[in-house]
Amino acid sequence: MAIDKRFIGREYGPFTYTIGAEKLREFTFAVGGAHPAAGTPGEPPAHVSPLLYDDQAAKAGPYGDLIAFPSFAVVFAIRPFASAVADPELDLNLLMLVHGEQELEFLDVMRPGDVMTTTGRISDVYEKAGKQFLIATTESRNQRGDLVVKGTWTAVVRG
Amino acid sequence: MARSFQVGDTFTHVRECDVYRPIYYAGASGDFNPIHIDPEVGKVAGLDGVILQGLCTLGWAVEAVAVFVGDPGRIRKVKVRFSRPVRPDDTVTFEGRVTAIEAGRLTTEVTATNQRGEAVLKGAVVEASIG
Repeated sequence: MAIDKRFIGREYGPFTYTIGAEKLREFTFAVGGAHPAAGTPGEPPAHVSPLLYDDQAAKAGPYGDLIAFPSFAVVFAIRPFASAVADPELDLNLLMLVHGEQELEFLDVMRPGDVMTTTGRISDVYEKAGKQFLIATTESRNQRGDLVVKGTWTAVVRG
Repeated sequence: MARSFQVGDTFTHVRECDVYRPIYYAGASGDFNPIHIDPEVGKVAGLDGVILQGLCTLGWAVEAVAVFVGDPGRIRKVKVRFSRPVRPDDTVTFEGRVTAIEAGRLTTEVTATNQRGEAVLKGAVVEASIG
């Protein structure tokens, strides 16, 4: 059943998220390929930049502090998209839902202590080749009100 | 140390989706959709087991370019289409090529191919500042 076009424009948020240093490390290591053991995050593989996990190297580096791996932004910026696909009024079959496309734009780096506020809206819904498409756009601003991350999220519901 | 980049430069990044990677990524990212952590749910969903979060594959494409430019803080944009799931025990090869350099920004096109030669991302473009 097609998603009703009247949901286009529906807004979700604001969602607020405070970035913590250990969460940044955990994400960096998980993407980077570390193998955590009980109680340890694992060792960072050689290709992972110290700017992402080593306090000393990061403080001496170009940003003066640890920075987030860019796609860490999905941890908080996904909230409006996740809310939209789980919105009971849309009644999507989450088991048949896949993430079809993703676009992220980074206007600045993210550091520990940054407080990110994300808002988003359903920007389009349509049906193509028997599949339902839902597009959400998001904007995440830091505690100074600066736009830091823009996202375009595409969900596809199969069959 | 300034490094120079040229249109046509290429780079390669290989990543293995080990059997626990979807669970590690779930914990780090908060994406606990059962299709990534419960093989039975994956089967019910017609996926023949669990699949890696597409956003982890996106992260690897970003990582490939971050390693190439030498600084993850320089990544400015990423755009991908998830064309095929990555599964535990898959090896994904990312091959990038610089397609444009303009106003201190470098644009790369990145392909991501599993060990069977199938594309897991389509139309992947990653941009980084080099100024």
